[in-house]
Amino acid sequence: MLSLTLSGNCSLLPRPNNRRCALFFARTKRTTLVTSALTRETVAISQDAMADSRNLSFPILVNGVTGKMGKAVAEAAVSAGLQLVPVSFSSLDKPARTLEISNIEISVHGPSEREEILSSVTEKYPDVVVVDYTVPNAVNANAEWYCKFGVPFVMGTTGGDRPLLYKTVQDSNVYAVISPQMGKQVVAFLAAMEIMAEEFPGAFSGYKLEVMESHQATKLDTSGTAKAVIACFQKLGAIFDMNEIEMIRDPEEQINMVGVPEEYLSGHAYHVYNLTSPDETVSFEFQHNVGGRSIYAEGSIDAAIFLHKKVQSKAEKKIYDMIDVLREGNMR
Amino acid sequence: MISLLQQHSIVASRHAQAYTRPEKPCMYRTRRRGAVARAVVTENIEKSSKIIGSSTAPFPILVNGCTGKMGRSVAESIISSGLTLVPVSFSGKEKPGGNITIGDVDVTIHGSKERETVLSSVINQFPDVMVVDYMVPDAVNANAELYCKLGLPFVMGTTGGDRELLYKTVKSSDVYAVISPQMGKQVVAFLAAMDIMAKQFPGAFSGYHLEVLESHQASKLDASGTAKSVVSSFQKLGVSYDMRRIRKIRDTTKQLQMVGVPEEYLGSHAFHFYCLTSPDDSVSFEFQHNVCGHKMYAEGTVDAAIFLYKKVQQKANKRLYDMIDVLREGNMR
Repeated sequence: MLSLTLSGNCSLLPRPNNRRCALFFARTKRTTLVTSALTRETVAISQDAMADSRNLSFPILVNGVTGKMGKAVAEAAVSAGLQLVPVSFSSLDKPARTLEISNIEISVHGPSEREEILSSVTEKYPDVVVVDYTVPNAVNANAEWYCKFGVPFVMGTTGGDRPLLYKTVQDSNVYAVISPQMGKQVVAFLAAMEIMAEEFPGAFSGYKLEVMESHQATKLDTSGTAKAVIACFQKLGAIFDMNEIEMIRDPEEQINMVGVPEEYLSGHAYHVYNLTSPDETVSFEFQHNVGGRSIYAEGSIDAAIFLHKKVQSKAEKKIYDMIDVLREGNMR
Repeated sequence: MISLLQQHSIVASRHAQAYTRPEKPCMYRTRRRGAVARAVVTENIEKSSKIIGSSTAPFPILVNGCTGKMGRSVAESIISSGLTLVPVSFSGKEKPGGNITIGDVDVTIHGSKERETVLSSVINQFPDVMVVDYMVPDAVNANAELYCKLGLPFVMGTTGGDRELLYKTVKSSDVYAVISPQMGKQVVAFLAAMDIMAKQFPGAFSGYHLEVLESHQASKLDASGTAKSVVSSFQKLGVSYDMRRIRKIRDTTKQLQMVGVPEEYLGSHAFHFYCLTSPDDSVSFEFQHNVCGHKMYAEGTVDAAIFLYKKVQQKANKRLYDMIDVLREGNMR
């Protein structure tokens, strides 16, 4: 399928040095670039026709489309009307191959070619934003590489040396959104709990807390998000011992008791917190239940759109997190 | 005692029997009976875990409206928190004084005509006395004027009346007061958190679907104001929702079976459920706040009174406070 999009508001995008109008596209079966500055027609392939004149469409490169998160982000980018750059990278040294995502053929390159490829990508797509979903071991090397080319990026991969990551980005003055939690709405909920705990310490003094969380069986450790929420409730005066978190990992219990849909057994994050007053006449319950990856993919796209805006407006601040993205308001 | 695990079992089994799973992942599930169903104790049986406020010097409180349910509940909370309940109260009726017993305190009830004289003599006897008012909407303004005239700090728990006039009366008199239509401190905290979230992160939940259900005693005809307040926060968060879609449950059978209200609280409860679901149904957030009886409001009122007493002692500049101020101060006891 062909996607040919001329950004209607040329004035809002930086003029590339080679005097092409900002025209971007993604074409299946062929990877050659076509430039045309004539038509003002916009032909969008995305089901979500959000690429209107207000919502700028810009190029996005997903590093790690071979992985599940990377694939989900790439698909989300296409449905959001962004231009998915038909290039990605793999840590494997084998020769380049192609992968099809939402009818777009992505050519995947090994480590030996990455510098050359990224260099030519930034030339062809000057305002590209990279979204990184690789592996913890690659976090720092990738960040250095993006910074070397001055490419703004959204770091979705967790792990690696985090202080070093921030230092690398700070030293290079590159724009970045770094957030281990890309589930935007979960971040909003957690932030609301933190604000409540900060503003009203001890409001729930004497209340008893019960916490249950369910994740895919392969997740051996307790939910970090749960621990963060519990810390808020403790500040609010609730009585709780971290060891009391009930972790559900048995798929049968997950289906029958927790109510996780079968399709999400291998990838979900369900949390329930229950606060009860000392005399048991009052109870509060909070739940956040995530199935699959969609929330993280959508959150990553929001982060990318946010970052693109910051780059365009030449914002002073360079390093952002999900709270910044949230504060900006609805991206689309 | 039903653990969270068992609660979920109950939900799941009821699901299988009585329900077709609704389209959205959550909502209209049978209320988990666990936490609140354990509240079979009546309000008169106090849990021994309530430590009498050792950090608060006991000070005298007069409850105006001990004969009413809320007033009585507050009076009981005052006694169990170790504060001094002034053994005097007032009735809206003009009959000669009678007596009622609250805890082990014998409270003399005076008619409304005697308020000024009796209050003046109470102030003589207890110079740092404070009033907690749970009377009727019609009496709000007259009572406030009287307290202000006598320089009595007060907590206004009664709703209704002319609120603008109430604030005006208090502001022009320099008297210390806590005025809050919602004395459920923790509910106020929750509402405030939702409001802060909405202000800080507008549109964060754009496209999400909302369902709201609330249950109150059958005599409450109007829809929950608290529910409307939470919904308006969600609207700021980008959720599109028509207030008229709030489901009001007032039928006692449904309250027992679907909502899970304990039978002894059918006549006095406030249960609220909110469920937010992402456009593709893969994500859901659920919030609940469920209150049985009056205890929560009574405890919140006592917190407000302790807070106000501190302000009076400190001779704070600010005179007029609400429940948010009480919350900001931190744990009272």
